[in-house]
Amino acid sequence: MSDEADQGTPLQTSPLHERHVALGAKLAPFGGWQMPLEYAGGGVVREHTAVREAVGLFDVSHLGTAEVRGPGAVAHLDGLLTNDLARIGPGQAQYTLLCDDETGGVVDDLIVYLHDAERAMLVPNAANSAEVLRRVRESAPEGVEVEDLHAARAVLAVQGPRAEDVLREVGLPVGHDYMSFVEADLDGASVVVCRTGYTGEVGYELVVDASSAVAVWDALVAAGAAYGLVACGLGARDTLRTEMGYPLHGQDISPDVTPVQARLGWAVGWDKPRFAGKDVLVAERAAKPSRLLRGLLAQVRAIPRPGMQVTTTDGTPVGTVTSGTFSPTLKQGVALALLDRAVGLDDEVLVDVRGRGQSFVVTKPPFVVTDVRA
Amino acid sequence: MTFPDDLKYTAEHEWVRDPGETPGSVRVGITSFAQDALGDIVFVQLPEVGETVAAGAVIGELESTKSVSEVYAPLGGEVVARNEALDATPELVNTDPYGEGWLFEIRADEGGAADLLDADAYQAGLDT
Repeated sequence: MSDEADQGTPLQTSPLHERHVALGAKLAPFGGWQMPLEYAGGGVVREHTAVREAVGLFDVSHLGTAEVRGPGAVAHLDGLLTNDLARIGPGQAQYTLLCDDETGGVVDDLIVYLHDAERAMLVPNAANSAEVLRRVRESAPEGVEVEDLHAARAVLAVQGPRAEDVLREVGLPVGHDYMSFVEADLDGASVVVCRTGYTGEVGYELVVDASSAVAVWDALVAAGAAYGLVACGLGARDTLRTEMGYPLHGQDISPDVTPVQARLGWAVGWDKPRFAGKDVLVAERAAKPSRLLRGLLAQVRAIPRPGMQVTTTDGTPVGTVTSGTFSPTLKQGVALALLDRAVGLDDEVLVDVRGRGQSFVVTKPPFVVTDVRA
Repeated sequence: MTFPDDLKYTAEHEWVRDPGETPGSVRVGITSFAQDALGDIVFVQLPEVGETVAAGAVIGELESTKSVSEVYAPLGGEVVARNEALDATPELVNTDPYGEGWLFEIRADEGGAADLLDADAYQAGLDT
């Protein structure tokens, strides 16, 4: 979910790197990892369409994985992360945020997998994993351990209307509730199968040991052939998540943007006694934020890009595009933008596309209707 | 990736076919290297027929899902044709860059083609 460029340190590679090279992937740095952007013979549009209409297979091993264990482990996480872990039980996962206690800015957005009161797994963004773990460790009570498994685990995402067919074919469990997970075995490899993803389609993310990643990938590719499975890169993951209005850390959300501004209040347990950033976020929510993350839909042939300025129709600056792309489904430009609160839904605004003010309408995402919970 | 011998090339990864279909013109497109680097092309913006363009001027844009690239006039002259099919099917630039994915035709002012590269020289530039 983050695309901060490499900071000069050598890039890490996924346990599936050889598979990507063999498939002719174009590789790009992503959060310190060298990951596939798109595959030869594919391309973003074909890969995107495969996920909307059939099924796509993504390597998202750049995502961090860590275990938090010990007496009070989950209570500790609940006192730090924004979402309310009491809303879920063992075997369920939750989208949540880690905010800075002083500013309320989003340090990272992540998924928590709840095993029991003394054990949870965190899946933070690649570029933020180390900082998330640092903050979780720093405040951890005696006896709570944080184990970084970033390089020891691989994460595969199987996404799309035929995802269940592919998993069933390889013998993995399917059909569990949205955001719940099951631990399974695939020819001796232990696989955590979670009904989640970041594409808006029905799908699963599989967490496996790095040593089993190639075997699991190969099994999915072989079983998927009959269902139109296409290997998909992070380029398609970006167009898919943008069509859904899902934020990307480092673009739409960051330490400079609060969950109130990003309209992520649904992922905040406002009634919890505490979480990092609670005081400042409660105050901002009561006072109303000065800006909001909104969707923009092009009314003309124009593709918005991050950093482009947004103005009213008479040229008054009202914000900035944070994510923007061509929607392969709508065949229109779509964007997420941080806009002054005064800008309302359905208002017409102009996006400065290389000197030309192009017409967009403020829209409530998702831009594309899917049935992720079906 | 192929770079046909019967075309001339520019350092901006465009090709020039002499003659074009319009009498007295040359046809212009982008190379297979350029379309591959851009990725899926989704919008093509081209100059209007009748426009007079200077050699090296930016006269259009190619946008892919991930980026935008400018289109340059490889020669000065008058635009005499544009590939109208790219409005509805911009992906032709990816699938057939030297054929159905051509961009426009120019009737050059005079000579002017001195800076164009042959296929070997263009490819040598890619390899360095």
